[in-house]
Amino acid sequence: MIASARWRAAPARPRPFFLWLFLPSLAAALLFVAALCEVAQYAFRVFTPGSLEAGGFTLENFARLARPIYLSVLADTLLISLATALFTLLLSYPVAYAMVRAKSDFVRSLIMLLAVTPLFTGEIVRTYAWILVLGSNGFVNSVLKAAGLVNAPLTMLYTRFGVIVALVQFSMPVMIIILAAALAHVDRNCERAAANLGAGPAKVFRHVTLPLTLPGIVSGTVVIFAWTMSAFSTPQLVGGGKVLMISNLVYLQGLSSFNFPFAAVLSLLALAVAIGALGSMRPFVSRLERKAAVN
Amino acid sequence: MKGEASPAVELIKVSKSFDAVQAVRELSLTIRQGELLTLLGPSGCGKTTLLNMLAGFEVPSAGSIVIGGRDVTAVPPYRRNTGMVFQNYALFPHMNVFDNVAFGLRMRKMAKFEMARAVGHALEMVKLEGLASRRIRQLSGGQQQRVALARAIVIEPKVLLLDEPLSALDRNLRGAMQVELRELHERTGLTTLFVTHDQEEALGLSDRIVVMSRGEIQQVATPLELYRLPANGFVASFIGEINRLPPARCRTEGNDVVFEIAGGIVLRARKRNQPTIGAGQETHLFVRPEHLTLVEGDRPAPNRVSCRVTAHLYQGAYTLTRVDAGPLGNLQLRVLGGEVIAAAPIGSQIKISIDLDKAVILAG
Ligand SMILES: Nc1ncnc2c1ncn2[C@@H]1O[C@H](COP(=O)(O)OP(=O)(O)OP(=O)(O)O)[C@@H](O)[C@H]1O
Ligand SMILES: [Mg+2]
Repeated sequence: MIASARWRAAPARPRPFFLWLFLPSLAAALLFVAALCEVAQYAFRVFTPGSLEAGGFTLENFARLARPIYLSVLADTLLISLATALFTLLLSYPVAYAMVRAKSDFVRSLIMLLAVTPLFTGEIVRTYAWILVLGSNGFVNSVLKAAGLVNAPLTMLYTRFGVIVALVQFSMPVMIIILAAALAHVDRNCERAAANLGAGPAKVFRHVTLPLTLPGIVSGTVVIFAWTMSAFSTPQLVGGGKVLMISNLVYLQGLSSFNFPFAAVLSLLALAVAIGALGSMRPFVSRLERKAAVN
Repeated sequence: MKGEASPAVELIKVSKSFDAVQAVRELSLTIRQGELLTLLGPSGCGKTTLLNMLAGFEVPSAGSIVIGGRDVTAVPPYRRNTGMVFQNYALFPHMNVFDNVAFGLRMRKMAKFEMARAVGHALEMVKLEGLASRRIRQLSGGQQQRVALARAIVIEPKVLLLDEPLSALDRNLRGAMQVELRELHERTGLTTLFVTHDQEEALGLSDRIVVMSRGEIQQVATPLELYRLPANGFVASFIGEINRLPPARCRTEGNDVVFEIAGGIVLRARKRNQPTIGAGQETHLFVRPEHLTLVEGDRPAPNRVSCRVTAHLYQGAYTLTRVDAGPLGNLQLRVLGGEVIAAAPIGSQIKISIDLDKAVILAG
């Protein structure tokens, strides 16, 4: 076939700057791996209550993970992360779509500004803002009460719901940027072609825009999922100790009980789940793409 | 198919402006049932805009569009039943060849069995049988072009809209595709609007050509008429090579028309039936390079002019020879073969004959 020569992989070319450009990230990676090894070695050592020094080799710390209380924290963490990722996706897609497809430059810039500004306020500041908004006398409850919709204030603070709301808002800017990049790459003529062939707006979205942005959707969701897995201050403050995620447990174990070995095990677990999620992304995307293509 | 009398497409005083730019101005045009009409014009003259309005992607600022007897000015693209082939093909990269071609049929909820047959037939039309399960990325440019065509013709559109479909192909493939497009048109009988800025493509392919410039129609004519009788200076110089002579004053003398050009040059042509050239009127003369000939020695010839050779451009079958003809300015001759390069070297004085009987004469 004529085409075959074109899409066969190009032969390896010498890349003169490759090494130099690669060096800084290599240095950073080495540092990170060193720190990780330091944490990892704690995981295999005996915890002596009341002492900061860890003892000899043991696998006891890993066995401890199986206790229901820790499993429930893990389950909570996964649930909150998944819910956060999905709600972030649902709320961010329309915003990203409006931003990329805005006809006027002004509207586009405005959406961009509103979407991204939260990134520049600190996590703690935003989390406190949510405490004010979600509290018993907070903004939401005041509005609901004034509107006569509720008699007693709703409990939102110190619940999973409150934590998820805060985490979603926290994650949206990143998700919007990832989705906007995916949407900007969709060839408008493909959408026009679909419309030309008889597809109304909903069908154009379903059969063209959505499948073509699928890689962005999956990577955005996975990134937010992995990111939320390691959330600390939001569950700490909005959850107020009643909602525990892995990071909060690590904090409790490491800095309240000084159980460094078990804290290390929990950290490794969180890392493994995050890496697993990122690793499963590629094959998942290509399978989804193939599925979406057929219909 | 409907009666021959009813036109396939009618544009009635259609205008389109984008902010300050007026892309299309009060344009009226009728496309006949089953014809291959070409829209030809320089870059930015509004060809794509016109096509987009026909497909429904742009709404006219004024005027109306009628397709198949129905006013579709306010009808959205997905209810117009036009078949568009985009300049960049715009194939769906996440679908294979079959699903690309079947897309329009799926939207029309055609039964599976019938659909497979229609897609197979369309792929056969564009000579892509056997590639139905290929991914788009695994196709060459020419093959993608064919998929885009198949996708558009399979829905049997009221009008097929082609936006410079061949411009992304290399020269050889383009020639072959032109022939195939013409054959495809003959077989399908689809009313086709073909956009190009390549005049050779337009001349070779079309039943009729619409020449556009700056959002306005300059002339609508068959390729032959367009080349022989351009309606104005723009069309004359846009279609093919042409020499524009300095303005001339004309009068009749017996059976001849005599043109007096500044510098004391007098050229003659046989009187012709063209009401626009009256006595004493200022006229513009346009002469094709093939109507200028070298005159050997003192052989008598009409409209002999002496000039100096300034350049030769060898083209294989013929040579384009440039001469400086004094008051007539720089002219270009088309001489068969390449012998002229040796026979009339650059700098030499030669005599040429200007055949004004085939010239384009426009009133000033
Ligand atoms: N969406 C738009 N917004 C603003 N101006 C536009 C838009 N689309 C087209 N134009 C302008 O309208 C004019 C006609 O554009 P159009 O794309 O129709 O030209 P064309 O004849 O197709 O040119 P080409 O041969 O280069 O494709 C141009 O001056 C162009 O800049
Ligand atoms: Mg164009």
